[in-house]
Formats: sequence, C-alpha cells, structure tokens
Amino acid sequence: MAKKTYSFELKSNLSELDRLCHNLQQFCHSMGLHPKCLFEINLALDELFTNIISYGFQDDKEHQIKFTLTPQKDLLILCIEDDGVPFNPIEADTPDLECSISECKIGGLGIHLIKNLMDEVCYRRCRGKNILTMKKKIDAHEAAG
Amino acid sequence: MEIIEEKQNAVNIFKLNGRLDSNTSQGFEKKIFQAITDGSKSLVIDFKNLDYISSAGLRVILKATKAIKREEGQIMLCDMQDYVKEVFEIAGFDSFLPIVPTMEDALKSF
Repeated sequence: MAKKTYSFELKSNLSELDRLCHNLQQFCHSMGLHPKCLFEINLALDELFTNIISYGFQDDKEHQIKFTLTPQKDLLILCIEDDGVPFNPIEADTPDLECSISECKIGGLGIHLIKNLMDEVCYRRCRGKNILTMKKKIDAHEAAG
Repeated sequence: MEIIEEKQNAVNIFKLNGRLDSNTSQGFEKKIFQAITDGSKSLVIDFKNLDYISSAGLRVILKATKAIKREEGQIMLCDMQDYVKEVFEIAGFDSFLPIVPTMEDALKSF
C-alpha cells in the first residue's frame, strides 16, 4: 500500500474536475481504497474546488489550486490550498443567486455534504492562502489492498 | 457526460450517463428546461448509468422539479446507484423528490 503523500495542482477552471477525478482514481487505486471512499473524497474535493473557482478569485487570471493527500494510519488527510480572497467555507453559506427555494436550504449545500462525508473539517488562513484540511477515516479492510 | 433523450407516449425520458458536476450540469439544465418550455409535463430522469453527482447536479434537479410543479406536471427519478442515492439522502432531497427503484415504476406513476 502506498503510504506517501500525494499532491497535485489544478488550474482555476471547472474543466479541471475531470483531472481531479482521474488523479483521485489513481490515488485510491494505489491505496487499495474502496470505491465508496473514492466517491466521497471526490465529492468533498469537488465541492471545495467548485466553490473556490466560483467565489474565490476577483481577477480573470489563472490560479493554481493545490491538493495534498496524506495517508496516516487509519486516516486520510486531505488538504486544499488556494490564493483567493479569504473565505472560510465552514462558516459561510454559499450564495446562490439563481434559486429561491422555500422548502430547503440550497445555499451551503456543498459544505453540508462535506461535513457529512468527512470526519473533521478545519479552515485556516495562512500567508495569503486559504488552507482547508479534512480528515477521513478509512476502514482497515478498505485500505488492505 | 452523455444525455440521451427519449420519448415514450407523452413522457420525456432523460438518461444520464457519466458524471453530473458543476462542469456538466449546465448542459443538462439547458436540455431539461428546453423540454419544460416545449410543454412537457411528464419527465423521467434515469440515473442508471450516472456514476457521480455533486451539489451542482442536485441544484439542477431541484430547479427542474420546481419548474415542472409550477406547470402542474410531474417529474420522477429512477434507478439510482447507491452512492448517488446517498448524496440525495444526505442533502435531505429524498424527502420531497419522487425517487423510485426502476424505470417501470417511474412510468407507472403517470
């Protein structure tokens, strides 16, 4: 089982979601992780990435968003870093200008999913960067490959 | 993502194939709203070959459901894979969206 930290960068463009998926597939395959785990990590990182691109940058320049995945015993630590405007997604609701939904809280849906799928989510602002760290428990049998 | 549109009697069927995320949801939104604009009142979304959905996909489904209800029509969601269904459950959308196991169940409901 691969124990090394795995990191990669994506450009600030939604078309990079395919590369995110591809990279995570490779990582989870090398770790022998269950497809359910892959799905959940993919969803959490997708939601954050989409959020950063939609609300994080006030210029039209291309930015790099850095992903770091670190296996640690029965945990997977996921870290995502961007140089966008200070934004703590854990506290803030995602603005949704298109919908006015009465029966459900549509804003903050992404972060709601993340909080349910991950075991710990932590935000800090450091040296001009947003750094979001998430912990995901992985079952021993899931990582047995 | 591939979207296959079919029509059975007066029912518009959308078969989703691949991944419904913030990159692909706009294309799906256009297609489904075109059908609603064209007067369709009975829609089925077939999730059988959908491997992935994010909140961007959920939003489109929700918007379409609201729009079709305003037209006094009906939407049915069928054949979801377990992980996809779980996303609907975590979001709480399973409580007000009509999710049924099979296409047959969906077609029967109209």
